[in-house]
Amino acid sequence: MARRVFITGLGLIAPHGEDPVSIFDRIYQGDSAVRLVRSGTADFGSDLPLATVDFTPKDRIPKTQQLFMARASQMAVVAAEGALQSSGLFREGQSVENGEMGVYMGCGLGGAEILQEGYRTYFVRQSRRGRPSTVPMIMASGPASHISMRFGLHGPTHTYSIACASSTVAIGEAFRAIRDGYLDTALSGGAEAMLNDGSIAAWERLGVLASSHMDGPEASSRPFDLERTGFVLGEGAVLLVLEAESALRERAVDPIAEIIGYGVSSDAFSLTEPHAAGQEAAMRSAITDADIEREEVQYVNAHATGTPSGDPIEIEAIKNVFEDHASNLAVSSTKSVHGHLVGASGALETAITAIALQKGRIPPTANLTHPDPYCDLDCVPGYGREAPELTVAVSNSFAFGGSNATLVLRKV
Amino acid sequence: MSAYSYLAEVLVDKYDVDKDKIRPEATLTDLGLDSLMVVEFLFDVEDEFNIEVPDDRAEFETLNEAATLIDELIEAKGD
Repeated sequence: MARRVFITGLGLIAPHGEDPVSIFDRIYQGDSAVRLVRSGTADFGSDLPLATVDFTPKDRIPKTQQLFMARASQMAVVAAEGALQSSGLFREGQSVENGEMGVYMGCGLGGAEILQEGYRTYFVRQSRRGRPSTVPMIMASGPASHISMRFGLHGPTHTYSIACASSTVAIGEAFRAIRDGYLDTALSGGAEAMLNDGSIAAWERLGVLASSHMDGPEASSRPFDLERTGFVLGEGAVLLVLEAESALRERAVDPIAEIIGYGVSSDAFSLTEPHAAGQEAAMRSAITDADIEREEVQYVNAHATGTPSGDPIEIEAIKNVFEDHASNLAVSSTKSVHGHLVGASGALETAITAIALQKGRIPPTANLTHPDPYCDLDCVPGYGREAPELTVAVSNSFAFGGSNATLVLRKV
Repeated sequence: MSAYSYLAEVLVDKYDVDKDKIRPEATLTDLGLDSLMVVEFLFDVEDEFNIEVPDDRAEFETLNEAATLIDELIEAKGD
């Protein structure tokens, strides 16, 4: 028999900071963490709105461990510790009570800055003698491995590298593994840190990044708005502790929210263009998996990144899935204030959705001042909204490559 | 700086080795370095002295043997 799965802990290293409650409060107020950042050098580079994280591993990770961890892994282990602490599973001495715990992580690029340094050594310094630890530091699976090693977790350690859907799939797969009885507890989420010069330059060439808005860089991420110019890249690590109901009873802990459904699909269409039919399939599959009526969904935390092509397609997909009920939905994109964390994005948005359910408060789409007529649902412009009756919410993540993933969460 | 004092300094500062444990006869394994740390440590040393430790000579046991090897390589380089 399928088991119920609860979110019992959150650990965040996010553009808005580290404390889940104050992060949510800032997001609820539409307070942007986006800033103008110089990449490259003074005469060769660019100024771009980005959502960086104020993080240093100093005094948080033993020195010899830091040496072999890329930034994404460093943020991941600190976020994992926060998640374990908030769930009550953390034990001093850096191991946890439940050593059979699984680690299900999403990560797009792994150690992007380490790879950049390796290429700099080879091509700029004309040396074949780069750091010996380059290979194990650039692996996308690094964050998951470091979490497992640091906390002594002997269950499955899986990494899903599915671009922008990575961590939503990671959480969904952990949810399924627990629901189906393969394990009782998992640390699941995502980590991404690719705000290094080379990666940013590559993203710029793709033509999908937002330019700084006339109202200031903090207003540059504008999903559903006519003045949107693309997305704001971010970084961070977000970990959730997922537990089976039985584990919960043994520990008498108050869960944050319940995960009740997960759906995935593939567009089989384009590397970069979104496709409504694929997104609809993921949402329908998740709702069926949750065993609810679509009319029970009240809030959608949209993938909506703020690109001219992507946002209206998601709105179209939502309308096709929910039909008459679409006009009753609140649909917001919190990327408007925290940017797009790529491999960590789905985890951050799932965490925000879980807190929204816990608090009965729907977070807004900030910077939505000139609504795109093609995005004509209730996109919660500007500020958050009290919603004490909020019970069921959906979080969407749609990736380059056409992989779509949707999670359904319920208030506890 | 002699190779031995540099090795000792890097082990303490970068690899967090307890200063009291550093002795000429100590091996890198005794000092808590795993295989990846050892190759990274050699990379640090090569970078500092602008030398290359040939693979067939990298099989030293103790800190003192490592320092002797590095001193020889520095001298062979001749600057």
